[in-house]
Amino acid sequence: MSNLAAYRRPMQSFKPDLRAVPGASPSTLRVQGLSFYYGKTRALKDVSFDIADRRITAIIGPSGCGKSTLLRVFNRMYDFVPGARAEGKVLFEAEDIVTTNRLLELRQKVGMVFQRPSPFPMSIQDNVAFAPRLLGWRRAQVKEAVARSLQAAALWDEVKDRLNAPATSLSGGQLQRLSIARCLAVNPEVILMDEPCSALDPIATLKIEDLMVELASDYTIVIVTHNMQQAARVSDYTAFMLMNQAERFGELIEFAPTGELFNQPRDRRTEDYITGRFG
Amino acid sequence: MPRLTLEKELAALRESVVRMGTLVESQIEAALDALRTRDPDAAENVRRDDQHLNELFREIREQVFMVISTQQPVARDLRDLMAVQYIASELERIGDYAVRIARMTGTLCGLPDRPLRAEFGLMGELAIKQVHDILEALIHRSEHHARDIAAHDNEMDRLYHRTFEDLVAEMGNGTDSEGALRAVTLLLVAHNLERIADRVTNVAEDIVFLETGQVVELG
Repeated sequence: MSNLAAYRRPMQSFKPDLRAVPGASPSTLRVQGLSFYYGKTRALKDVSFDIADRRITAIIGPSGCGKSTLLRVFNRMYDFVPGARAEGKVLFEAEDIVTTNRLLELRQKVGMVFQRPSPFPMSIQDNVAFAPRLLGWRRAQVKEAVARSLQAAALWDEVKDRLNAPATSLSGGQLQRLSIARCLAVNPEVILMDEPCSALDPIATLKIEDLMVELASDYTIVIVTHNMQQAARVSDYTAFMLMNQAERFGELIEFAPTGELFNQPRDRRTEDYITGRFG
Repeated sequence: MPRLTLEKELAALRESVVRMGTLVESQIEAALDALRTRDPDAAENVRRDDQHLNELFREIREQVFMVISTQQPVARDLRDLMAVQYIASELERIGDYAVRIARMTGTLCGLPDRPLRAEFGLMGELAIKQVHDILEALIHRSEHHARDIAAHDNEMDRLYHRTFEDLVAEMGNGTDSEGALRAVTLLLVAHNLERIADRVTNVAEDIVFLETGQVVELG
């Protein structure tokens, strides 16, 4: 905008719309009274909050507070852990994730990106095409999904001329973007990210953060991170979790728009944590 | 678990801003003394001492920037730093008003001696008290006290408007050029005292922000 007139706005719209505000977005996931157990050990107690549609929600908290456990409930990853079970509800598209039997469909719609990228020992193209092929998509659909996903993951320009090269030839940051592309290939609604940048250098981290912000216009993103500055930089909402020291379960202490939680946290424990005085 | 370096830096900055406030308070007192006693040398001292204030202000700004860039403060820590920055800025401007009063004293010293209106004494005392009280509120981080001080701004406004009307009436009564210069100069003195109280109100707003995170309009 080079013309000063373009900056003039009516008084009522003077407030810059920087980040999400309460009630501004409908919910994609509704967590209601969620508790979680590993065998007899309770890992989460009575967690309730709504995750906004096409926004980035960060879950922060010290190690052992249950934030990764919570993330794994959202696509039932815990089913692979013997003795693990959830109580309460996580509503997604009018269905309860905790009780649904349609797990393939759930994991197609709620994808996961892990802390360390784990490429399949195959080509870049085949990594992205893996899930579409598993779902029985036609060849043309698979080809379209590979190109679309790699473009959306901001990796296309870097790999389009070597799609048949082994995925392991990519750098750490590229591999993480490949993981995101793999997740995007099956058209998910929600992308779960568990410490997606913890193994990356600062430049690769910023690329992933920019990518997250771009993806948030089409997908709902939930990120678990130890990096509070990262949560503050990219997320619209933040959930702070803490382990109850007396009873040793994780609980949600505060959930708020990110700007609010990092400026005026309501709970003293949140303030202590985000200002680095926790412990 | 305290963050020792950050805590130390914040404490040093809080101390610096209060120290700056006490210097400002002394500057206003000195400027008003010079005005009352028609002492051009004392007025000149006020102008000279403003350099210390400006230097302190520069140091505070640099330190605030350094702490923000190295410590990545959030929440209350960030508000603390922002409040130090805002308040130091207001105090620097209050110091400038004291200098302007000293300059006007220099002008008045060149004019025939006539008694000052009682309102100048009242406005001066009120300005000093307002600055003193707001520093107390800052030291004790008292939102309640800050709001209370801002509420007293009306008193200064009342005195200023009365002085303004009297001096304008005086100029309208066919005064000579020296009389007109005196009246205009005194009007500017009154205006600067009134601006000091306005800046105190801004500091009160900064203290409310510091304590609550709310940006409020007081006074």
